[in-house]
Amino acid sequence: MQANRLLASLPRETYRQLAPGLVPVALVFGEVLHEPGAPIRDVYFPGRSVVSLLTVVDGHSALEVGLVGREGMVGIPLALGIGVSPVRALVQGAGSALRMSAARLRKSLQASPALRLGLHRYAAALMAQITQTAACNRFHRVEARLARWLLMTRDRVGAGEFHLTQEFLAHMLGVRREGVTGAASALQRRRLIGYRRGDIRIVDHAGLEAAACGCYALVRQRADAGRGWAQAAS
Amino acid sequence: MVKPRSASRLHPRDNRLLASLADADYQALVPHLEAMAMPLGLAVYESGGPQGFVVFPTDSIVSLLYVLENGASTEIAVTGNEGLVGISLFMGGETTPSRAVVQSAGHGYRVRAAVLKKQFESRGELQHLLLRFTQALITQMTQTAVCNRHHAVDQQLCRWLLLMLDRLSSSELRMTQELIASMLGVRREGVTEAAGKLQAQGLIEYRRGRIVVLDRPRLESRVCECYAVVKREYDRLLAAIAPAR
Repeated sequence: MQANRLLASLPRETYRQLAPGLVPVALVFGEVLHEPGAPIRDVYFPGRSVVSLLTVVDGHSALEVGLVGREGMVGIPLALGIGVSPVRALVQGAGSALRMSAARLRKSLQASPALRLGLHRYAAALMAQITQTAACNRFHRVEARLARWLLMTRDRVGAGEFHLTQEFLAHMLGVRREGVTGAASALQRRRLIGYRRGDIRIVDHAGLEAAACGCYALVRQRADAGRGWAQAAS
Repeated sequence: MVKPRSASRLHPRDNRLLASLADADYQALVPHLEAMAMPLGLAVYESGGPQGFVVFPTDSIVSLLYVLENGASTEIAVTGNEGLVGISLFMGGETTPSRAVVQSAGHGYRVRAAVLKKQFESRGELQHLLLRFTQALITQMTQTAVCNRHHAVDQQLCRWLLLMLDRLSSSELRMTQELIASMLGVRREGVTEAAGKLQAQGLIEYRRGRIVVLDRPRLESRVCECYAVVKREYDRLLAAIAPAR
């Protein structure tokens, strides 16, 4: 079965036409797929991998605005007719993905209304995620946001264990490293997660969901309603 | 203050997206366009609710707000005559997480979502134009998210004022501090303090629900980079769209 849900949701004939242009790749933690202002040469359909979309301020990753896993595609501007990325796309969870060249995707988009529809729907879902993230960053405490972020990562990786440095988490959440340390320790004290030298393990899935801000449930509901994806690994 | 022109003098092509359509695409849409007054505070649509119409503002500005369960809200993006409100309708998302509220009174044209969706699917150029606007809007949302996180309230206020000015035909805004506070997602006192600072420096004048921008160049030199990032993207992505009439 196709690991990427977006591809899996396409009509069989559409997928059959795309398949020859899809190249299996292994994405490596920390790999940069797209840079802001630079042309998008390839798009990626994550399977087991997870990719963060980050805004960059003064050359530094400043904040994660979106998270793409097996429910989506990295390189949505191309589906909107734009060849340049506004964000940095950074591999956050190593794993498999299917890569397609920008030229090939453009050609396929022209030929297939079903592909256009699928990608436009996903773009709308991604906009909803960005909206939610903007509000969440404004109002919610680091601990609740960290919990949400871990759950979103879990849903996309399909596993409750992953490796992440504190510095990396600080970029994702747009806070200082000490803020991440404090929040991670608090979640650990509550026995919701185990955290040691960058290895994070979700111990209590239900508890972590309760500790997360409401944004997690909302984005997930909306995504589930849009297309049945992201069954938790719990 | 510049009074909004009467509806009878407005024209659909006062909206720059509509003005940029090829003649055939425009003519196909015109019979379905319905002029509407857009008073301050009007909810164009509610979050999660069904949206029957897509709205093209002409001399009004609409704010996309995210509202939390406890009623606190924050602005995600603004749209004026350069765009349309109700993107997710033709993108295939049935509902949106944001609420769209008129933030500067004026007018606009609405069209049934089903009509626009059909034309979006069948007319390539129209689709291309709307998708470019969508990408510009995504950039604005993204930058707002980062600005909310990293920049001081007075810088955010500068950004917000400049975004408004770009979409208005005057340098005067009708605006209460409460409204600004709900846009920026901060307490009213925070807005009072930030507006006070800008006023003391002679950049704006604030009185009884009106803000007059006195010194735009200095506002631009004081704003965080977020304004320029969004402006550059809008200029680049929407280069093909017509200037205001």
